[in-house]
Amino acid sequence: MRIRPFDFKAADSLSDALNQLDQAGSEARLLAGGTDLVLNMKKKKILPSTLISLHSIKNLEYIKEKNGMIHVGALAKHADLAINPILEKEVPILCQAVGLIGSWQVRSIGTIGGNLCNASPAADSAPPLLSLDAEVVIASLDGEKTIPLSSFFCGPAQTIIKSNEILKEIRIKKPVNPSAGCYLKLRRRKAVDISLAGVAFQAESDPTGKKLDRVRIALGGVAPTPIRVPDAEKCLMGLSVDDAFQKISMCAEKAAKAAKPIDDVRATAEYKRTIVNVFVQRSAQHVLTTLKTNRGKS
Amino acid sequence: MNQVPIHLVVNGEDYRLFIKPNSVLLDVLREDLELTGTKEGCGLGKCGACTVLLDGRPVHACLTLALQVDGCEITTIEGIKEDEMHPLQEAFIEKGAIQCGFCTPGMINTAKALLDENADPSEEEIKQAIAGNLCRCTGYNKIVDAIHSCGCKREKAKGGI
Repeated sequence: MRIRPFDFKAADSLSDALNQLDQAGSEARLLAGGTDLVLNMKKKKILPSTLISLHSIKNLEYIKEKNGMIHVGALAKHADLAINPILEKEVPILCQAVGLIGSWQVRSIGTIGGNLCNASPAADSAPPLLSLDAEVVIASLDGEKTIPLSSFFCGPAQTIIKSNEILKEIRIKKPVNPSAGCYLKLRRRKAVDISLAGVAFQAESDPTGKKLDRVRIALGGVAPTPIRVPDAEKCLMGLSVDDAFQKISMCAEKAAKAAKPIDDVRATAEYKRTIVNVFVQRSAQHVLTTLKTNRGKS
Repeated sequence: MNQVPIHLVVNGEDYRLFIKPNSVLLDVLREDLELTGTKEGCGLGKCGACTVLLDGRPVHACLTLALQVDGCEITTIEGIKEDEMHPLQEAFIEKGAIQCGFCTPGMINTAKALLDENADPSEEEIKQAIAGNLCRCTGYNKIVDAIHSCGCKREKAKGGI
């Protein structure tokens, strides 16, 4: 399977990439891991005039913690995120989700920035990041801006990133109080499949571990973009962990109602909505139980 | 299309070549370097037959542009032997883990990456690791057995028995 000819440029720094992007025009594409882009070029779905490869920019692969924030470089690879000690300790939901992306071959070279910019409604990294209130840093020749991930996605394969901008970093606020999260993904087979529906459930309690101060539920694959479902979150927010168990089914119903799935080759809309309901229940049960158990330990 | 220079370290040897920018790594390995042990299955990153190791990690050679790995170290099936055969190759033969053989180079490369990271993986860990390598002869049990036996053997060897 041949790839149509294109001009290849390698950027050796972020500013070099921004300059090249500026000169190359809107038909240029950025190449990170390439697991989606090269595939789409093979299928002739994307035919860029110029590819600007970011492979030589080694200083955008970091995962570090500073002043209560976790900073993840856009070129950090899924395989590195999945086993990163900082993320495993603070936000294990993210490790769990990126560990489910594609196959090991894809995770070894695919990047978190690429996964977000590709903007598949079913991208596995998006729901956990939405549930963690992540922000993204977007760089252009004019400087940098930081926006919430919740306003990043515009539609399938569409983001607010302009043709002269590059996603530089993902920022996650480190949970201060006891927290727990769970990502569940439905696939037609157990391994290496696109998510049919994904549910991320992340909750943080007060310092004593008794009351739910923060509940975030995000869905993938059931709307034109990954979404949060605030109505469902409100059902549990502010409740004691023990009382919250009683409200799980109401919360799940609200989440299923807020989902906007469509019938497609993978499943019917009705089935996906049912799955959202079931997965919110399961993930909520898991998270609340974890919070309760950890409270017993401390 | 203009040819452009590239530097690859394949199986420990330096190669400086001129290639077309739209060549994937698989093309360069098979056509330019004549390392035909790496196979093209689906060409779409689904079957894992083209798996090679990029700086020790498994990747699809069919979805990786060669220029994207300029300067990197690549290991193919031709390069994994130690003194003679790699213990994984011996284990695959011993356990009958090869039927038509088309998935074998990719399968062994992924297994090597796994054993380098985790010397004695469980059956479940092996299955997870090779999830992206399809064997259309469906000989998975023997493949898992072979990787498992190799892991056990290595672990024992490390223990100085």
